[in-house]
Amino acid sequence: MRLIGYLFWLSGVIGLTLSGAGLPDLFNERIKSVVAVEFFVQSEIERQPVTVLGTVIDQQGTIIVPAAAILPTVAPDQLKDFKIYRPGSTEAARAEYLGQDAFTGWHYLRVEAKLRPALVPITHFPAVAADPALSDELWGIGLRNKDEDFLPYFLSARVATVMKLPQKTAILGTEVAGPGLPVFDQAGRFAGLAQTSFGQNYLLFSRNQHGNPILLINVEESSVVLLADEVLPYLGRVPRSITGRPIAWLGAYGLQPMDPEVAKLLHLENKSGVVVSDILADSPAGQAGLQERDIVLAIDGQPLPRLKPDRVVVGYFSQAMLQRNPGDPVTLTVLRGTDHQEIKVRLGEEPKLSREADRHYFDRLGFTIREFLNADSIMQRTKPSEALGVVVHFVKPGSQLATVGLRPDDWIREIDGDEIKSYAQAVAKLKGIEAEKNRAEFILLVSRAGETSVLRVKLN
Amino acid sequence: MSRGFNRLLEAVVRIDVSEIEFEAGSKRFTGGIGSGVIISADGLILTNAHVASPQAVTISVTLANLERVSAKLVGWDHWTDLAVLRLDLEEMQRRKIKFIAAEFGDSSELYAGQTVYAVGTPYGLERTLTRGIISNTNRPFSDTHGVRGYETGLFNNWLQTDAAINPGNSGGPLVTENGKLVGINSRAYIGAENLGFAIPANVARRVAATLAREGGIVRSYLGLVPGVLQDLENFYALAANNGLLINGVDPGSPAARAGVRAGDVVLALNGQKLDGRFPEQLPPIQQMIANFPVGTAVGLTVKRGAQSLALTMVTEKLESRVGEEWAFEKWGLSVRKVTRAFARENQLTDASGVVVLGVQPGYPAAEAGLARGDLITKIGSAPVAELGQLKSIYARYEKKPEPQLVEAQRNRHISLYVIKP
Repeated sequence: MRLIGYLFWLSGVIGLTLSGAGLPDLFNERIKSVVAVEFFVQSEIERQPVTVLGTVIDQQGTIIVPAAAILPTVAPDQLKDFKIYRPGSTEAARAEYLGQDAFTGWHYLRVEAKLRPALVPITHFPAVAADPALSDELWGIGLRNKDEDFLPYFLSARVATVMKLPQKTAILGTEVAGPGLPVFDQAGRFAGLAQTSFGQNYLLFSRNQHGNPILLINVEESSVVLLADEVLPYLGRVPRSITGRPIAWLGAYGLQPMDPEVAKLLHLENKSGVVVSDILADSPAGQAGLQERDIVLAIDGQPLPRLKPDRVVVGYFSQAMLQRNPGDPVTLTVLRGTDHQEIKVRLGEEPKLSREADRHYFDRLGFTIREFLNADSIMQRTKPSEALGVVVHFVKPGSQLATVGLRPDDWIREIDGDEIKSYAQAVAKLKGIEAEKNRAEFILLVSRAGETSVLRVKLN
Repeated sequence: MSRGFNRLLEAVVRIDVSEIEFEAGSKRFTGGIGSGVIISADGLILTNAHVASPQAVTISVTLANLERVSAKLVGWDHWTDLAVLRLDLEEMQRRKIKFIAAEFGDSSELYAGQTVYAVGTPYGLERTLTRGIISNTNRPFSDTHGVRGYETGLFNNWLQTDAAINPGNSGGPLVTENGKLVGINSRAYIGAENLGFAIPANVARRVAATLAREGGIVRSYLGLVPGVLQDLENFYALAANNGLLINGVDPGSPAARAGVRAGDVVLALNGQKLDGRFPEQLPPIQQMIANFPVGTAVGLTVKRGAQSLALTMVTEKLESRVGEEWAFEKWGLSVRKVTRAFARENQLTDASGVVVLGVQPGYPAAEAGLARGDLITKIGSAPVAELGQLKSIYARYEKKPEPQLVEAQRNRHISLYVIKP
């Protein structure tokens, strides 16, 4: 105990030395690591402006922004006009989108050279030596909106608890920083990165109704902080390509946590596991013999940890796969019925994701189709090998196709009575229809949730 | 009013039903009020399927002479929304209660604009008479969940009337000025002005006769889902007034196995030309298929693009999506058996398992985490294919309560749960 006391005392001394500058000075130094990021998501008929917050991670002007900043269905070529603003500044610098890292979920950007000298990477500041403890006071930076020149402001809060979700995450009593921005201790050491904030339950009272439960999410500030040693080792995962590839792929879907009561009944006391719901036939998992209903208990001999809430173990498992590379071998220990089995899987490369799918917008028809993906075969309950046709990605409101009831995610099987066997065929066919100026109508055969219908589309 | 009309009024009854519901993880008694009309001297009453169902426990009938008599359910058909009850004749004889039966009219002779009256018990107001006209004699109106969650209206067209029809009118007669029963009032657009629908007497009469004799109606099923061809004749290069467009084919159905595909056009059935251009032409075609005895071989002449195909299939018995319901009260769990139709609709591999209708908060099933809509597929290591299997597991549990491992799917995701005593 004396030793620990001594260490604390020592760290206190270091803390004092560092914090000699005082919080306002620390704050003014550290706002050089944070930026506001502005961009547009270009869709078929509109441009959606987006503003998010980012943290500078190196001298090359690399910036990370949280996963939630960009929806997973948005293709990189829809992201336009990235602009970077320093706190309190109206001057914009251009930036390039580098892609998303599959493991951390972070999107990476690189700002143009002219702004780089004014930025200080977060790694320039020392990091905390140990995880913040209960009741430690941390502080961070928030940024106002564009109409206030992204003015920086100071936030601070105490650590309420530290949880594994599955990464070590501190939950603070109140908001401590803008989501995506760094958080520091009293000595100005980097303590972690604020995440997208959690929803909070409130009761909404009104004149006529008593206490309706509602969920509120603060999008400007967050009280959830991913701790420093869950951040720093991964900052270097700058995507090698805009698609974020390579991405490891197992091919097991619908993973569900094993309830502790279930574990007890299966004589797996204090063990954790995930139940596999769906295996894609041609996937690495399918080829290795992983089956639906298998309960995965360990990865390469390492038992899955018991985490709370129960569902966190699913995130743990998925991240464990994403941390690996395509081609890596992995051994899963599973419970099948009453037998324990070792399944040796060689991970593959993730099939095309929604954001990578080829897609085409037909201006006159007012809709976008995209190629049929592996994810679609899971949704449509078909084997990927039987997956023909194309998928509706977008329907312009008020267009003829919208009027006849076509919806995004509808599966087009036939166009004008011809079975669609490839994306290219569908595009060619629809381009042909668009080009025929005198064409009065065309016919689609469409599936939705296993039910098909014939849609007749009038042109002009 | 005519003598016939006054006589008809004597035949209209109020029906009070108390029934079991398996909704929230328990058996609950609920009550409802409807109308009905006596149609025979031996005490048969015609009403709606959504007024009196097989879950009815007690049915009490109030006659026009204010006598209250009990009745039993004789037959039930959700497809036409009709049910037949029988008055307790012994009780009536003992109590010397007399009654009068209504006379059927010919609903095929009705014309749009003809004056009709609706008689019934709207909102519990007995013997309410409302007047209107026939708005349409041939209205198609089908609903996949229309009769207590059961399918309805696929095999018949309806009479549409502007005579006011309100909740409680259900099961009461639609009558002509001379007191002939021409329809059974069944439903109305809520919130609309006077858009009411009645089952034509000619349909009701035929269905009632079968229900009285056999308790239910067996229909044939092919699995064809027709769509209206309306204006698509040119696209499919069809001769005038011929063709039934196939919008979809139920997976695994006789039609699917025979190779019928969505987008096909059926030109003829057993050599008989089909004309399905307009919505009101579809129910008679569906009825023609339904009328075949189960197991009949049916030949379709199908046009697919430029191809002409002759496909043969054997009809199966038509099933509802709604299966048998039950409550396991100590678990606080109510369930419904998966049927083939339900399995097809939800893209399940087969019809095994039961679906959770509801759980009672604080009871073992709810505590385990089960919720409405979950598909229970296994208890312990035993697959639950039939409701009976679950009942016997529950019976063992009642004798000796022990934790039960339950496998269930939610949105196709498999999870395990423990039901603990």
